[in-house]
Amino acid sequence: MPRSPLFRALLQVLGLVSLAVWARAEVCVDDDVDRRVCLEQPARRIVALSPGATELLYDAGAGDRLVGAVSFSDYPSEAKALPRVGSYKRLDLEAILALKPDLVVAWVSGNPATQVERLETLGLNVYRGEPLRFAEVADTLERLAVLAGTEPAGRAAAARFRDGITELRDRFAGADPVTVFYEVWEEPLMTVNGEHLISEAIRTCGGVNVFADLPGLAPRIGTEAVIAADPEAIVAGGMGENNPAWLTPWKRFRALTAVQRENLFFVPPSTLQRPTPQMLEGTRLLCDHLERARARR
Amino acid sequence: MPGVSPRPLALALLALAGALAVALSLAVGSVPIHGAELWAVFTGGGDPLHRELLLSLRLPRALAAFATGGLLGLAGALMQVLLRNPLADPYVLGLSGGAAVGALGAMLLGAAAVWVPGAAFVGALLSTVLVFGLAQGVGGWTPTRLLLTGVVVAAGWGAVVTFLLTLSPAERLPGMLYWLMGDLSYARSPWPAWLLLVPAALLVVPLGRGLNVLARGPLLAASLGVAVRPLEITVYVLASALTAMAVSTAGSVGFVGLVVPHMLRLALGNDQRLILPASVLAGGALLTLADTLARTLLAPQQLPVGVITALLGVPTFLLLLYRSR
Repeated sequence: MPRSPLFRALLQVLGLVSLAVWARAEVCVDDDVDRRVCLEQPARRIVALSPGATELLYDAGAGDRLVGAVSFSDYPSEAKALPRVGSYKRLDLEAILALKPDLVVAWVSGNPATQVERLETLGLNVYRGEPLRFAEVADTLERLAVLAGTEPAGRAAAARFRDGITELRDRFAGADPVTVFYEVWEEPLMTVNGEHLISEAIRTCGGVNVFADLPGLAPRIGTEAVIAADPEAIVAGGMGENNPAWLTPWKRFRALTAVQRENLFFVPPSTLQRPTPQMLEGTRLLCDHLERARARR
Repeated sequence: MPGVSPRPLALALLALAGALAVALSLAVGSVPIHGAELWAVFTGGGDPLHRELLLSLRLPRALAAFATGGLLGLAGALMQVLLRNPLADPYVLGLSGGAAVGALGAMLLGAAAVWVPGAAFVGALLSTVLVFGLAQGVGGWTPTRLLLTGVVVAAGWGAVVTFLLTLSPAERLPGMLYWLMGDLSYARSPWPAWLLLVPAALLVVPLGRGLNVLARGPLLAASLGVAVRPLEITVYVLASALTAMAVSTAGSVGFVGLVVPHMLRLALGNDQRLILPASVLAGGALLTLADTLARTLLAPQQLPVGVITALLGVPTFLLLLYRSR
């Protein structure tokens, strides 16, 4: 392919630019809304605007760089001591500015977009995250690690997560499908559709979400719809980490396959309902439960 | 209408509508059950799954819907007479706000769902006592004063509700918002509502004559020998108890309590002896029908019942209003 002198000159300029970038130790990643986030140097003061982001930052090895978090950021337990900057849906912009962060990790669907934009116009660097797939959870760990300058830790955490999920996927790839109803909330009764991460966890374990085709990530359904679907297993979170009370009401429907075979399973909500590496543990628990369901055929 | 007295006829028609609404509610759902199978269940046999569906899901829900609608219809009719204000509804005096604070507070504290109706009931009663006490004031008790006190207390509860929603973690919000919209899926047992509705509906019939006079003004009522103050207090306490029970059964279901009594007045005239029992039947029928549609129109997705009550009620009401003189 013939190369014009202009093209060659362009290449040289690009080379010089990237050299200059390298010299200033600038770090750049693309976030989940495809905006490029660049920092002149790895972040040393990070504010996380969702409990999930806080958890991801700790997992990416950047926990000691966190200087602020929103309410309900409770995992790992060190996160409870972080200064608070409001709740994820009502941010305290003054508190965020006062912390002088060099990176803010926002949550696309959770934080008010106007408040996040305001932070940007005030000169802060904002990473917008919304991991919707297991692969994106791992990617987010790596990207946050790049921004925080903790790549080894981030890469290791991402690899652990990817390997764990791959292992589960391989193990259950040929397993007999188990139809599953996942109860995300009791009153009103809510489940997840096929786009939700929890549905990916179900698929990973060789399960089939009976409500995968409904519109909306967390559709509201009726009790009778569950009975009509007659899933082989019913899996529920609950109000607390150790409270399977949501399963009890199903027991009165003795005609349900899941009830006859006692396939009513509890998975602690924090291990399945936050898009973080904890989902590996939740998915493992779920896979164990579905294996039990297969054994009870 | 010469010959036939319109009163029993209207009530009989409304009762029939109510029975049809309950029957429809039993017949439709996500699991198709045909006529013969339905009949088998109610004659003591039938498929065990169908039995379970009908007897522990559809029937309690239909009965709860009917009772809640009846309670709200009656409470609304009573409030409109008491306050002599056509805009009055069961919630105008802040009762639903008190109930919402009770229910949402319980949800925020992570109380099990069994406790939510109780918390709502306590909140509603607290609000009633508060409004009644404050409306006494220094200058004594008047409907206007009661209305203003109630409206301002309601605004206060509204602020507390917003505050509670702000404090709540993300995963609890949908449950709270659906509670605020009102929903029959929260109904656990229909019996408390019926235990209140039946005696209340019987009690208001003898009050009807006094209320007819009261509706024309307290001075006239007093001159005609009606004990205005005791009657007003009875009506207030009764309407509050009815509303508290409705709200703790199904959350703040709107619209029924405001519009049902007006529709009946437009269609049947303003005789409380007829309007009060008719409000029970029409409120019950409307809410049962609306709830049935709400849970089946987009099944398995569930619509908030308020959407359907408004969808059915707004055109009917506007038509009646347009045709009235």
